Amino acid sequence: MSSEDPQAPAAAGVTAEGISIETARKYDLTPKIMSYLDRHLIFHLLAFVRDQQLYPAEELLQNTYDLLEPTNMTDYLMDLWKQLHGEEAEVPREFLIKREKVGQEWITLQNETAKITELLENPDVISNFRSDKMQNLQFLKDNHGVTDDMIDALLRYGQGAYSRGSYAQASDILYSFRILSTDSDKVNQATWGKLACEILTVNWEGAMEEIQKIKENIDTKPFLSPTAQLQQRTWLIHWALFPLFNHEAARDTILELFFSPNFINTIQTSCPWVLRYLAAAVITSKNRSGGSRAAAVQQKQFKDLVRVVKQELYEYKDPITEFIAALHLDFDFEEAQKKLGEAEEVLKSDFFLLGSAEAFVESARHLISEAYCRIHQRIDIKDLSQRLNLSQDEGEKWIVNLIRDTRVDAKIDYKNGTVIMNHPPQSVYQQVIEKTKGGFFRTQVLHAAVTR
Amino acid sequence: MATSRFFHGGLSDSESSSSEEDYEEESEEELEEDEAEAVDNSDESESSEGSDEDEDDDDDDDEGLEASNVAERQNRRDRFTRDAADEEDSDDDQRRFVRNKKDKRFEEIEGSIRLIENAEKINDWFVISQEFDKLNKLVTKAGHGDIVPKPYIKAIADLEEYMTETLSKEKTATKKMNATNAKALNSIKQRLKRNNRQYEQEIAQYRNDKENYLVEPDVEEASIVQQPVPERTELVGPEDDTGAYSVVTRGGKAVQLTTESIFKHLKVIVEARGKKNTDRTEQIRTMEKLLELAQTPYQKIRVLLALISTRYDLSFGVLSYMATDQWKAAEKELNVLLRVLEDNPSWIIVENGDEWEDDEKMPPTPGPGEIFKVSGSIVSFVDRLDDELTKSLQNIDPHTTEYIERLGDEAALYRTIVRSQVYFDRLIKNEKVESIGDSLNRTIMRRVEHLYYKPLAVIETMEGDSYKLLTSDSSSEVLRSNLQQESPSGIVQALCSFLYKNDTTIIRTRAMLCHIYHLALREKFYQSRDMLLMSHLQENIHNADITTQILYNRTLVQVGLCAFRNGLISEAQSCLQEILGSGRVKEHLAQGVGPQSRYSTVSPEQERLEKQRQLPFHMHINLELLEAAYLTCSMLLEIPAMAAAGSSPDMRKKVISKTFRRMLEFHERNVFPGPPENTRDHVFQAANALAAGDWKRSSELIQAIKIWDLLPNSELLKHMLSEKLQDEGLRTYIFTYAPFYDALSLTRLSEMFDLSDRKVAAVVSKMIAHDEIAAAMDQINKTVIFRKGVEVSRLQTLALTLSEKASGLIESNERVYEQKSQGGAIGGLQEGGVRTGGGGGRGGKPRTEFTGTPGGGRGRGGGRGRGGRNAQFAGERASAKS
Repeated sequence: MSSEDPQAPAAAGVTAEGISIETARKYDLTPKIMSYLDRHLIFHLLAFVRDQQLYPAEELLQNTYDLLEPTNMTDYLMDLWKQLHGEEAEVPREFLIKREKVGQEWITLQNETAKITELLENPDVISNFRSDKMQNLQFLKDNHGVTDDMIDALLRYGQGAYSRGSYAQASDILYSFRILSTDSDKVNQATWGKLACEILTVNWEGAMEEIQKIKENIDTKPFLSPTAQLQQRTWLIHWALFPLFNHEAARDTILELFFSPNFINTIQTSCPWVLRYLAAAVITSKNRSGGSRAAAVQQKQFKDLVRVVKQELYEYKDPITEFIAALHLDFDFEEAQKKLGEAEEVLKSDFFLLGSAEAFVESARHLISEAYCRIHQRIDIKDLSQRLNLSQDEGEKWIVNLIRDTRVDAKIDYKNGTVIMNHPPQSVYQQVIEKTKGGFFRTQVLHAAVTR
Repeated sequence: MATSRFFHGGLSDSESSSSEEDYEEESEEELEEDEAEAVDNSDESESSEGSDEDEDDDDDDDEGLEASNVAERQNRRDRFTRDAADEEDSDDDQRRFVRNKKDKRFEEIEGSIRLIENAEKINDWFVISQEFDKLNKLVTKAGHGDIVPKPYIKAIADLEEYMTETLSKEKTATKKMNATNAKALNSIKQRLKRNNRQYEQEIAQYRNDKENYLVEPDVEEASIVQQPVPERTELVGPEDDTGAYSVVTRGGKAVQLTTESIFKHLKVIVEARGKKNTDRTEQIRTMEKLLELAQTPYQKIRVLLALISTRYDLSFGVLSYMATDQWKAAEKELNVLLRVLEDNPSWIIVENGDEWEDDEKMPPTPGPGEIFKVSGSIVSFVDRLDDELTKSLQNIDPHTTEYIERLGDEAALYRTIVRSQVYFDRLIKNEKVESIGDSLNRTIMRRVEHLYYKPLAVIETMEGDSYKLLTSDSSSEVLRSNLQQESPSGIVQALCSFLYKNDTTIIRTRAMLCHIYHLALREKFYQSRDMLLMSHLQENIHNADITTQILYNRTLVQVGLCAFRNGLISEAQSCLQEILGSGRVKEHLAQGVGPQSRYSTVSPEQERLEKQRQLPFHMHINLELLEAAYLTCSMLLEIPAMAAAGSSPDMRKKVISKTFRRMLEFHERNVFPGPPENTRDHVFQAANALAAGDWKRSSELIQAIKIWDLLPNSELLKHMLSEKLQDEGLRTYIFTYAPFYDALSLTRLSEMFDLSDRKVAAVVSKMIAHDEIAAAMDQINKTVIFRKGVEVSRLQTLALTLSEKASGLIESNERVYEQKSQGGAIGGLQEGGVRTGGGGGRGGKPRTEFTGTPGGGRGRGGGRGRGGRNAQFAGERASAKS
């Protein structure tokens, strides 16, 4: 993939623009993430970075241009060229030649696949399709003279459409290809292509389906070498970030996917920076209401997160993971508060996390106060408000809300300005009950499984 | 006695055959004389010489034995019957003291021969077979190498004839032989043929002249009695040459060596190789002269090949090592050989070289671009050179200057290794050379093994030296990349990466271990730990050979030390635990033989092997330092844990380090503890101080351990340790004294332990959050308030333990089921356990193994997964011991 590194040239060039930008740039993950994305996906990232104005616009424009050069989006490229070299600059001839060539190729591809697309639009043909791919293929071959070459041409056609930037069309073409092709490698390629299309057309439902397909593909493909498997998983993780932060419904599924043993290992091994997104996603989702089961899952995910963050601390840290470490490993509230401030800056300059920055800060406050209340018996409201980056009045309100929402056993002593927590000791009976609660059910399940 | 003698004497005149066996049996008890007599008596082809002198002699003899009249009479009779025998006897008497043993052998041989002849008569192949074996043994014993007794030749020749006869008869015979007999016949048929092939010449000689064959040597024997000259007549072929050759050199007339005759001399030397009585030093001297004479590269190569291997032949046996001067000479010559090869790229040495039929002539000089392969193996020369150096280092007392001097030779050796690596690299690039096997890999591995345990500065020097020897055009890919890298830190990495790519055997495993060791040595704990875990070595290291296991142990210990230096106490403890917890550290690291266990006796064989495996002193990891690190880590973990457990008996069972607990108990049993003397004393007194909450004293004691000074940055380390002691001291204090307080002021605590308020608050918060103490903080008053009434009764403790065990049981059941059903999911139950295994084989990092909470899952049902690792190590330990 492209290896542009906007950070390097930018770091030297820009003078002081405030601490926040400094932090944001220090923890900018764009270059790291870019190496695991497709050109068309990176394009959006770069566009975002341009909006952020962290780096000089000129260079970013140049980078965007370099990035898109191999693609077939010639018209857009010409625009970029003009932006780079001024409106009046003459467009080099190569562009025109390329445009022509691309157009020709496109027409050839269209011709090659005309027959088969026609067939696929024919309801008579479709109605004859069964669930068995081989049979379908045989049917087409026998009755309509379709050859394997034609089907492969379909894949190229899809690629061409994608390269031109007509994602919806590409998605449809790849879908048809997948129906017909029996070559598992190519089907896999098509699935990746379709996922990209779905992401680019903001069709999250479709994207989720594709993600599931790819995941199964990676897991089941027996001949894949461990390295290739690892690489594909890494890619999938990065691509899945798009729906994770843009599609509310997908969040639980993707989090579950990320926390599955294979994927958490992948994250730890090849892309620890994804932990930032994982942490952000877990923390923000913690606040949302849900059933007791959802709460239990969240609890567990959070525990896992703390564990992984602890393990990876030597390899990767940014304000978000440091916040978690400070709060749950060192119990250093001052440090946590500091990191939270930094984390907010980072979130605001992150392509994926921009939208959830507010929610994150809110949830993080909850986390802090939760931990604080658990440890303390008597808390100074003023102090707590400070910890949460709030004024005293706001703090009081916050605490009242907290007491109401989470049913913490606490009272406010208004005169002294304190909150008094009541920690009833967990009785031994309760402990034993907790420990043995699931035992019977689990044994039953096990028994059923064994006798089966 | 007397009668028997008489009896035999009487019989001996007639041709008896049945009595022979008796002789055989009795021969041990009978007097020397009797034996000789008996044999002589029955000797058919006897020369008859009469002499009175003999008689007198005999008389004297007999009189000495029996002085009575009866004896006299008997004697007379004896004389009568023995008449003929006595002359031989007299002869015998004269030379008895000289030829006793030898004669005895000959007599035995003849006895055997006679038995065979007898058995032939009754067609008893079983006896023949037995006797034939015995005969062969006797001949080799008596033979002194090349002398073959003529009767023996006669016997085997006859036997062969008879055998062929029998076999042909057998074919036509109606009645078959019985089973044993037939079997014996068959076996003798095969053995005899093989045997007789050796003596073809002699047998032919015998067959040509059956009558005179035996007579002639008898005369010879009688006349020249017992000079071992007869061998000369029996010498054949090449040995004749040797004789002639050695005469020449012995006489100092080395002038005869000429350039033309180099190959002839070489051939002679090569043929004499491995034979007894070859004077190797003599050969070496000859070859050194030959080397001077050698002119063409081929001559030089051939001479050097022979010369180096002869030098190696000088020392044999597992415990003896090559003399230093010989080693140096071999090293020099190997370098000369490599130089010749570098200068003449058309000559190469490979293991499967072209055979040049006529050894004594020059093969055609290959034109430019062509190559000629000479048989030989550079890699085995290098290996041997390296091994010999190691052997000598093992045997020299490491505290002498000799050791240091010897160690200096390592640099020279390293240069040679690098040089041969360049040579192999050249061969690999040359497409005309088909394959050189794993030579290059082996050489690189040798190189890595010389580097991995050394500090950077030393590596730099060694590397720098090694390039000086190389000619500028001898380029090597691996080498060039090293040169570009400049920094010596990359060398081990580069060499190992090469091996990862190009090797799949044990070499790769070893390379990996060396690499990890090297990384650990250079303070890259996480990198080395990740490599160690991702290699999945701990799963199958116990299948590896023992030297590799030792390397693994060394690596593990080094990773542990690295963690310790970096202040990662629990990681260090768990790494070191595997080796140091066993109590047989010395054996596991091959740094000396530990105290013998009372229950197992080690055979000398095992002891010798053990000795062979020992590492030379300069590679040792300081055991005292190891112990100090291990005990300090254990103390830092164990003392707070013990304090937390308090007096409850169940909690006490959670042991982090058994070794530490045992030693601590032993230490506490001392009634009058004196001032600390050794490292161990220091640690345990520090442990006691820590347990009492006196962190300052504890810290002082730990700082006083002298061995820390061996580590780089010892000041930093001491500082780190003292910080840890403060932390753990605080924790221990709270654990110990919490029951006696209602509330504790944080400020007071921070004063007591010299820590900042924030740090104390963090430590206490952590303890509260992890439910280690039942308490809460009061922010206003800055105090910790302990809750009362949380102490549990005995029954409640038991109930808790029971419920814990039950859930552990369920978990382990589920895990077993999962394993059986290959990860098949049972509902949502496979949450906890699989996390570790998930990455296995997929390139993932099974991290949890290291970071698992210390003590958790040890000795508990729920901890089977992690416990399994310990079990593996137990297995490995057992095999490392043997």
